[in-house]
Amino acid sequence: MRYEIRIDGHLSERLAKAFPELDHVVMSDQTLLFGQIIDEAHLYGLLARFQSLGLLVVEMRRLPE
Amino acid sequence: MADQQPFGPEASIPSADPRGDPFLSTRFSLPARPDTFLRRQRLVTHLDRALSVPLTLINGPAGAGKTLLAADWAATLGRPVAWLTADGTDHAPGVFWAYVLEALRTAGAPVSEEVGRPAHPGSVDHALLARLAADLGRRARPAVLVLDEFECVPSPEIAEQLQFVLHHAARGMRLVLVTRTEPLLPLHRHRAAGSIVEIRGAELAFTAEEAATLLASHGLSLTGDAARALVDRTRGWAAGLRLCALAAQQSSDPETYLKEFEAGQSTVADFLLAEVLKRQPPEAQDLLLRVSVVERFRPGLADALTGRSDAEAIISRLHRENAFVEHLGRSWYRLHPLFAEILRTHLRERRPGLESELHRRAARWLSRSGSLRETLAHGAAAGDWEFTARALVDDLAIGQLLTGLRSDALGRPFARSAPGTAGPAMSLVLAARDLFRRDVHRGLTHLLHAQQQLDTDSIDSTDSIDTRTPGDAGDIGDTADPDLAAAHLSCALLEVLAARLTGSPLRAEQAAKTAGQLRQAVAAERLERHPELTALLLTHLGSTLLWAGRLDEARSALAQAVRCATDPSTLLPRHDSLGHLALIDWLNGWPGQAEKKVLTATSEAQRIGLPPTLRAGIGRLVLAAVAVDRNELDEAETLLERSAVPGRPPDPVEAAGRIIASSRLLLARGQVREALRTVQTHIPAESVSPWVEEHAALVASAAHLAAGRFEAAVEVLGPTSARRPAHAVAAAHARLAAGATGEALDILDALPGGERGGPALTVRATLVRAQAADRAGDHGTARRLVTQALLDARRDRLRRPFLEAGPWLRRILGTGSNPYLAWDLLSLRPPGRHGPGHRAEPRSPALVVERLSERERDVLERLAQMMSTEEIAADLYVSVNTVKTHLKSVFRKLGVNRRSDAVRQARELRLL
Repeated sequence: MRYEIRIDGHLSERLAKAFPELDHVVMSDQTLLFGQIIDEAHLYGLLARFQSLGLLVVEMRRLPE
Repeated sequence: MADQQPFGPEASIPSADPRGDPFLSTRFSLPARPDTFLRRQRLVTHLDRALSVPLTLINGPAGAGKTLLAADWAATLGRPVAWLTADGTDHAPGVFWAYVLEALRTAGAPVSEEVGRPAHPGSVDHALLARLAADLGRRARPAVLVLDEFECVPSPEIAEQLQFVLHHAARGMRLVLVTRTEPLLPLHRHRAAGSIVEIRGAELAFTAEEAATLLASHGLSLTGDAARALVDRTRGWAAGLRLCALAAQQSSDPETYLKEFEAGQSTVADFLLAEVLKRQPPEAQDLLLRVSVVERFRPGLADALTGRSDAEAIISRLHRENAFVEHLGRSWYRLHPLFAEILRTHLRERRPGLESELHRRAARWLSRSGSLRETLAHGAAAGDWEFTARALVDDLAIGQLLTGLRSDALGRPFARSAPGTAGPAMSLVLAARDLFRRDVHRGLTHLLHAQQQLDTDSIDSTDSIDTRTPGDAGDIGDTADPDLAAAHLSCALLEVLAARLTGSPLRAEQAAKTAGQLRQAVAAERLERHPELTALLLTHLGSTLLWAGRLDEARSALAQAVRCATDPSTLLPRHDSLGHLALIDWLNGWPGQAEKKVLTATSEAQRIGLPPTLRAGIGRLVLAAVAVDRNELDEAETLLERSAVPGRPPDPVEAAGRIIASSRLLLARGQVREALRTVQTHIPAESVSPWVEEHAALVASAAHLAAGRFEAAVEVLGPTSARRPAHAVAAAHARLAAGATGEALDILDALPGGERGGPALTVRATLVRAQAADRAGDHGTARRLVTQALLDARRDRLRRPFLEAGPWLRRILGTGSNPYLAWDLLSLRPPGRHGPGHRAEPRSPALVVERLSERERDVLERLAQMMSTEEIAADLYVSVNTVKTHLKSVFRKLGVNRRSDAVRQARELRLL
């Protein structure tokens, strides 16, 4: 399944490397991370990592295949 | 390095968690508040309401200031607060609850001894939680427990247990959960009942005024507008404000800096941390990145990670400036969890590949300061298996792999390593793992591999010390260097276990002797720290000697094992030893004593929470054999069914116990051919066991007797020996049946006074004499002897010998003066007329029983599952007294006075 996750603020290149499995693009005042997510465990793991890095998830949606 | 050796707080605390690791005292201490901490009265006032409700939730993102709020509140509350910082290892309920109990103790609000403590990391006995709740519930002032970083404990099982304790402790407990994520407790129910106080992210956020005050304490003055803009930008996030203050402080023009930050678009933590980090001197940056791989550190450990010696100064400066570093007390520090995560990302990016080297260095430093758990964790994280295994072996902790305590934590990472390349320590660990799983073949392969490598090593080391003949095993205790002694001792322990599993007494004795010599060569302090090593050695040796039929020697080893320190780590071997001692009692004809030992072992295992899969099957098998002696055949069958542990093949003694109990049951049920087939089951072992062989002969003899083949019954027993009472009694019985009365009596007379065994044997012997007297026409003597036998059998309720005795016995009892008393105590129905005090025939469907209420039936069902009163109470959510009331009325309705009788009676009346 492919997901797209919207983070509040510009994510530095360095911190983006904490998510090697996702691509990212910096928007006006947000960062969009997107990519293949293996399963639900991966999804929840990602959410926990966002939280532990102090990142605010503002939107998250599954992309059509 | 000043802080190199004594491991600070841990060394002074004798108690340990169920994994055998000392409690980490830093997890019980209130986190220190930095000088710049801002007390926010509105939150404190809200939090004060925690004292009037059972559950309080402080819920917010990382760095929202949850922990400091709770710590500040707790520190100024003026009453004891039990504080526990959860960590990732608390997934295991046993460990979690052990830490909770220790937190209460540390806070000066200990629970009573009767509550007990969890013995197994992976589980906690429900009754223990019920006792804990009851203990808390009795308190005049509720115990306040704060669980910080509760998001580390995602286990639904623990959440359920917490809810259970909270519910039953009623007013005796105030729980404060500090967590980033919503806990799995039934919050909706608490909300509906108004029994919860919640402080959530929005409330934790700083207001503009608070932000201005906070920045003022950093020497930065802000206008109202600037403060509002900053709060807007950071969403009032405490960590963001703190970083912001630090970065501004370090900049040449703080005000401009703040303005620029407000206008920026970066993610707050990411950006600010990089800013603050980049302004640190290079040594401090390097140190921060490197310590991010450990959970907690001391200056010495930080030095080991950086390879320099400036850590002490840097850390105290960072702490003073409130930048990243938190003080845990007693010169232990940790990084703020939020920054640790980001710093690790920086580390990976800036110094790729360094992480595993850092884990390796941490493992080496920690192994020298004595923290085995952390050593193992970092050794495994570095993928340095041989070092990790070596740390375990050198610590003499190999026994923990055999008590089920550490096997999960260690077995899994080790499973990933390549076995072909294993060094001696690694081979020992793999051997221990396989032998514990009773995979004898693979275990022996690893053990042999370890032995070969160790022998080579000791030859090398001996050569370098002196010119003694290499491999002189007799002197190993004197010559081996201390490092190798631990490995050799571990090896000897595994040898004894291997000997037990393969039934080879010689091997066991040799290894036990070697172990005895090696004990001199290892540090006494390590042996004391690992009582399980001694307990396991004695248990395995005892089991092997028992198999070999050397019952007295076995008993002395096993009794020593039982007397070992009552530590969670020795629970399994002590339990196992008690089961074996019970078997010895049973073999010697003392079923009552055997039963008592098993019940003692079971109740201890239940109280401390040893998981059923680890409980020794031998105990249930002995109970089954005792039940057959008492003619409680259905119970024996149930016990036999429940004694098998799936996926764990029995050792020889257990296999023999199963064969004996099931063949006796089959004989009692008249299934002679099946009984004979059962005793012919082959038990793989290197030596034969005399009592197992003897038993096979006894069953064969009984089968022949049942078929009327008296000569064959005598034949199959072979020559008699005065030293084997069970055999002698059976031989006398067979000869009597074959008509050789004189010979039968001669055999019994030849038994020396002290060797006649317990009632199970003497009752049978007396019955043989009675039958002989009866046959000789001396009815008076026969009756006297039968009465004697009945009296001897009474205490142990031995019914089987009487049921097996044959028709002559009924005739004698039918003519007796007043044997009803004895008959009644045996719960057997005398033939002919009904006497006074006589009970209804067990299977009689006509017996009128007052109908049981639904609740009474619930209690009875749980009773049948061998649950204790406390467990039943916990399970039914009622008080212990209520259960007792139900039990009393069940007893009355069934006309019994004991639990076991109630269950039996209910089964016979088909109520269960």
